[in-house]
Amino acid sequence: MSVLLLQLAGPLQAWGSSARFARRTTEPAPTKSGVIGLLAAALGRDRSHDPADLAALRFGVRVDQRGVPIRDYQTAHHFETGKSMPVSERFYLADAVFIAALEGPDDLIDELHQAVRRPTYLPYLGRRSCPPSRPLDLGIREDGDIEQALKREEWRASRWHQRRHREPTVRLETIIEATADDGPVDSIRDQPLSFDPTHRRYALRGIRHGYVEVSNPAAPQPSDHDPIAVLGGE
Amino acid sequence: MYLTRFRINTARITARKVLSSPQTMHAAVMSSFASIPVQEDDGPRVLWRIDRNSRAETYLYIVSPTKPDLTHLVEQAGWPTTGKWQTYDYEPFLSRLSKGDEWAFRLTANPVHTARRNDTEPTKLTAHVGLQHQLRWLLQRQEAAGFRVVEKPGDRQLIPGTDVHEVIIRERRQLTFRKRGSSRPVTLATVTYDGKLEVTDPEALRRTLTRGLGRAKAYGCGLMTLAAA
Repeated sequence: MSVLLLQLAGPLQAWGSSARFARRTTEPAPTKSGVIGLLAAALGRDRSHDPADLAALRFGVRVDQRGVPIRDYQTAHHFETGKSMPVSERFYLADAVFIAALEGPDDLIDELHQAVRRPTYLPYLGRRSCPPSRPLDLGIREDGDIEQALKREEWRASRWHQRRHREPTVRLETIIEATADDGPVDSIRDQPLSFDPTHRRYALRGIRHGYVEVSNPAAPQPSDHDPIAVLGGE
Repeated sequence: MYLTRFRINTARITARKVLSSPQTMHAAVMSSFASIPVQEDDGPRVLWRIDRNSRAETYLYIVSPTKPDLTHLVEQAGWPTTGKWQTYDYEPFLSRLSKGDEWAFRLTANPVHTARRNDTEPTKLTAHVGLQHQLRWLLQRQEAAGFRVVEKPGDRQLIPGTDVHEVIIRERRQLTFRKRGSSRPVTLATVTYDGKLEVTDPEALRRTLTRGLGRAKAYGCGLMTLAAA
């Protein structure tokens, strides 16, 4: 088993799981269906392709920079007819940074890694209008599981965000797919069964919230200028 | 020569008073000598500097030809029963300096130059404002001051060719304070350099450490200290 790490950073992101009709909400963190969809697109699959092999991967997210939820009141007109489309509300996360981790068999993870590096269809962060602002690929971690990979990864928040945290370490939220021995857990309906545009289906998926401590590279360093220590003899 | 360190209790209102005005601090430092050391033109003098490592850790460093007595500062801006000042003999360290040694240094200085807008105007002392100019000010003086700021290896230079020296500007302050008997306020730009140096001329460096570098020495500028690199 190995773990593929993806960096999801962009000016806007949107990860809907329960959005219906004209109100398109976003979850506070990337959904499994969104990231699996991104990978399937990178592999060049079309929407009617069965995503079962990718959906079997174990999925985890780390919130490196929480982002700000913003709402867009959208009044769009049809491209060809010029008729007004239904007024819709679209929610986004602005300035967020996440690390998504996928754990699975070595050869599949390797194939996905190649696909992320040379995607067939361009990746986007949950909605077509949300391009990533940094490279997605953070590489493969061959030793350890999702928990360890997310724990070891350095803090990927923007420099200005890191500077706001003056502590030497920070606590980052993790949302990791639950395993059988986790007991009662939260659930979210983002386990993709089919991306077929005529009949999209998602199943419930157990998730476990936790946190990891990572060091803050922008924390103020204690000053080590000590002119007394070198005097000696006193 | 003596090097003195005094920790300032920044929670005290009177401490804020001395910290806020270099004029007041200068008076406090000078009044810690029963007889004020005679200042010859090129002789050792009293130098002081405030190191603000954090709000809880603010130090006053004094380099002086005689031992100071900071009792009054302890009463106004220190911890009268638990904190005192420490004075160390500076001579053994100064005489140990030798060519080729590498040290970390810290210097708070007042980088200025003379300028005028056109040929008819009298020249006027003007502070260097830009980082590049403030750095150049230090580099222009290093040779005469007896040291050389160490250069970074090429792969550590953020902008090759521009960011060559092991020195950063740690703090920049624009000070304005009133001087008694003067209607106009004194304005002062101070810069704190942190870096690494190599001793090129021990005698000149000793002079720099005991006589100061640059202007505004009465106002907490010009004192350079060395620490383990």
